[in-house]
Amino acid sequence: MSEEKTDVPYGTLDLLILKTLATLGPLHGYRIARRIEQVAENLVRLNQGSIYPALMRLEQQGWIRTQWGTSETKRKVKFYSLTKAGLKQLSIEVANWERATALVARFLEAES
Amino acid sequence: MNLRAMPARLLALFRQRELDRQIDEEILAHLELAELDARAAGLRPDEAREAARRNFGGIEQMKEDHRDHRSVQWIDNLLRDLRYGLASLARNPGFATVAIGLLALGIGANSAMFSIVDTVLLKPLPFPEPERMVRLWESTPQGHNGTTTLTFLDWKRQTELFDAVSVENSEKVAMATGGDPIRVSGKTVSADYFQVFGVSPQIGRAFAHGEDQPGAARVAVLSNVFWRKQFAGDPGILKREMVLDGEPHKIIGVLPAGTFDRDEAVFWTPMIFAHDQMNRGQHWLTPIARLRSGVSIQQARAKMTILRASLNGVIYQKDWGFAVEPFAEFLVADTLRRSIYLAFGAVLMVLLIACANVANLMLAQGTTRRKEMAVRAALGARRSRLIVQLLTESLVLCLLGGVAGVALGMLLLRALAPILAASLPFTAEIGMNLRVLAFAAIAVMAVLIMTSLLPSLRTSFGTLATALNQASRGSSGSHSAVRRAIVIGEVAASVILICGAALLFRSLAKLQEVDTGVQIDRVMTMSVDLPSAVYPSPQSAARFYERAVRRLQSVPGVERASVTQGLPLQGVQWGEYMTLPGVQQPLLVRLKFVDPSYFRTLQIPVQTGRGFEDKDRAGAPPVVVVNPEVARYLSKTLAIADPVGRTAGLAVPGYGPIPESLVKVQIVGVIRGERTAALNAPPEPVVYMPLAQAPQQDIKVVVRTFTPPAAAMPAIREAIRQIDPNLPLGDLLTMEQVKEQSMLWAKQPTWVLGAFALVAALMAALGLYGVLAHAVTQQRREIGIRMAVGASSGEVLAHIFRGAFSMLIVGLAGGLAGAFLLTRVLKSLLFQVSALDPAALTAACILMALVGILAAWIPARRAARLDPMTVLRNEG
Repeated sequence: MSEEKTDVPYGTLDLLILKTLATLGPLHGYRIARRIEQVAENLVRLNQGSIYPALMRLEQQGWIRTQWGTSETKRKVKFYSLTKAGLKQLSIEVANWERATALVARFLEAES
Repeated sequence: MNLRAMPARLLALFRQRELDRQIDEEILAHLELAELDARAAGLRPDEAREAARRNFGGIEQMKEDHRDHRSVQWIDNLLRDLRYGLASLARNPGFATVAIGLLALGIGANSAMFSIVDTVLLKPLPFPEPERMVRLWESTPQGHNGTTTLTFLDWKRQTELFDAVSVENSEKVAMATGGDPIRVSGKTVSADYFQVFGVSPQIGRAFAHGEDQPGAARVAVLSNVFWRKQFAGDPGILKREMVLDGEPHKIIGVLPAGTFDRDEAVFWTPMIFAHDQMNRGQHWLTPIARLRSGVSIQQARAKMTILRASLNGVIYQKDWGFAVEPFAEFLVADTLRRSIYLAFGAVLMVLLIACANVANLMLAQGTTRRKEMAVRAALGARRSRLIVQLLTESLVLCLLGGVAGVALGMLLLRALAPILAASLPFTAEIGMNLRVLAFAAIAVMAVLIMTSLLPSLRTSFGTLATALNQASRGSSGSHSAVRRAIVIGEVAASVILICGAALLFRSLAKLQEVDTGVQIDRVMTMSVDLPSAVYPSPQSAARFYERAVRRLQSVPGVERASVTQGLPLQGVQWGEYMTLPGVQQPLLVRLKFVDPSYFRTLQIPVQTGRGFEDKDRAGAPPVVVVNPEVARYLSKTLAIADPVGRTAGLAVPGYGPIPESLVKVQIVGVIRGERTAALNAPPEPVVYMPLAQAPQQDIKVVVRTFTPPAAAMPAIREAIRQIDPNLPLGDLLTMEQVKEQSMLWAKQPTWVLGAFALVAALMAALGLYGVLAHAVTQQRREIGIRMAVGASSGEVLAHIFRGAFSMLIVGLAGGLAGAFLLTRVLKSLLFQVSALDPAALTAACILMALVGILAAWIPARRAARLDPMTVLRNEG
């Protein structure tokens, strides 16, 4: 694995999780982590464990819900899926993110 | 913190274990899946497991993060500290028991006392708009006086001022029950009596207008408690009757439970004025009224003054006016108010001492825990976190103390309520309620601040190095200076309380030494009320007295029997003016009615002239006997050396509704005198009249026995029953009890303060013991070395005692200074004792010093018995 991996940008993990669930539907924790890693294509270093506190936070906010299901290894696991409120939150976060990156991009252009 | 997540987070607080289990399961599943994937990618099993772990990151770290975020962290911390606090208390049960016990005692006593203060002095009266309730008086230059029937009726007509004006008159009547008649207390009242209180019956109705007019049907309203007890709560009560003094009364209503259940009266009947009472001579009524809404007490006073002026033609006491005063003002006597404040002040002091003790214990704990704190600080715990932890531990202590205290307070109140009920107004409902609980909660907070802030700061502020060093070495540091100061404060506060108690006890002793002038031992008294229906005339009453005395005299065991209108020490009901021929200024005297054997029964000698004889009966020339105060007045102001043989004019109250009449009487004797009122009151001028010449309905039978009076009781009852089987027998009291009751006002505060002082002294002793014992433990090494280099155990003993004395002496000095400042509040409760009585103050100091020395003895002995070799080997 590459040594130049950076951590997941601060505050983006929630967005990544929500987007993942919006795209793929209900998933368990490991699949969510894997999906983020695959999309990022080794650009970021993700401690897979760190998604669990994030999932718990999102659940407490009411943006995702959980259901118990069975994993491929026949073990009882939690499946996470997006709620209506979560879908709305996703669009808000996407908009926020786009605004933020647009702002930063503009500054960078202005400097050059 | 996000509000949306709050419910989930709070919920999480209670599901920690469940949530921990869930996350463990998820981690396990995650690792399995990751391992599976890694093996599919071609890794060896052990490599696959390793890779799964690596990619997951720190498991414990993640779990901690999860835990921190899923619940409210400060609450989580708090709960953890609480759990930790409980655990550390459990590790140290001795400390916990003593501290919780002290706090429980302090908070319990304070809650109980506050309940009394609150209900008697703070809370508004338990009636709607109590500020509209007033008492109406005639005001004389000497103070307030009752009014007459006709003036009362004038007041009643002031409907623009009052919604209702009522009078009440207590009575004791015989109630037929099928078996023996019982004697019950009731009140005759005006028809709008309950309107004044704003109370309406729970069942039935109150009196209607006109039911207090002559010729109205006889009706009665019952108290709730009487209805439940005597009538078993019969729901059909309104169809029943009760027979009072032989007259059937229809029951028209039952009052709601509560306030009126504490009144002495259990039933109320309308007061119907007899024709003879329609005058402006008998000042026998003390009306209460409810102001019309919107009318202020000042407006009422102004209007009443105008009314008074308009009545100038008919009221002959020209210098008397009309007065309107708040009802509440007359419910609580001044002595009672003072006693309650005094007790509350004392109990607050006890709480302060308890707090001081607990703070002291905590400081001692802090010393031993310094090392623990230092280690935690070294491991990176923030100071604020440590303080919060210590505060939480104190909170646990204070909460437990508070809960135990409230329970103790409840027990105290339950035990005290029956004793206190007689001294408190009927409007006072003592018991635990929300206000008392709120007070207890505030007390707990205050206690928490007082007991824990200082110890917490001191414990956690010590620097790491010194703490780690000192904890192992152990020597007296600045810490013990604070603890000694606290003990000195405790001793001082206790001395103040003991001084107060000592003064009151001395005053009580003086009071008990006062010569009552009458025989107290072997005297039994009994109240009897002659019902008008059976004894309609003065002659019938006089016949009863004679027969009763003759019958009682023949009872075996009875030495002498008599009948009187009033007992010694209970005050004399009638106050009348006595006029002497040729003298302008009449003398206000107490007028008492006794039978011929009264003076002999109570061993009151006749000084000059004679006592009463059987010949002084109705129809014979009216005679009186006076006490030395009257004789002294006559000789001093009128130069009458021997009053015997003089004649005087006296207003004498009539029998029942018969109005008083002016009678010309002859003074036939002077007796040595008896104390007619409370023992602290100076003797008053008393004129005695033969009961046979002015019969009264409410009388007392007084019997002197050969044996202890209780033994003769059944025979005495039987004797009265033989004369009149329908006569209910009233309160039976020995003269001893009469005397006790007359001193209750002085006794109650004395014993209360005495008890508090004792508790305070014991607590101070405990504090002293704690500091010394701790010092001995801390200085073991030092003491060991001293002994090793030749100090005798006597010298060690002296060393410890020196420490004790230095604290005791400073505390005593401070306490005395406080006593000089504070005991003056006792002045009005003291009888013939100065508020700075040297004997009492000295006794208090000696007592405190003795208790202090006892407390110092145990640790001093322990220090003296230390074996230097063992100590040095263990701690060197």
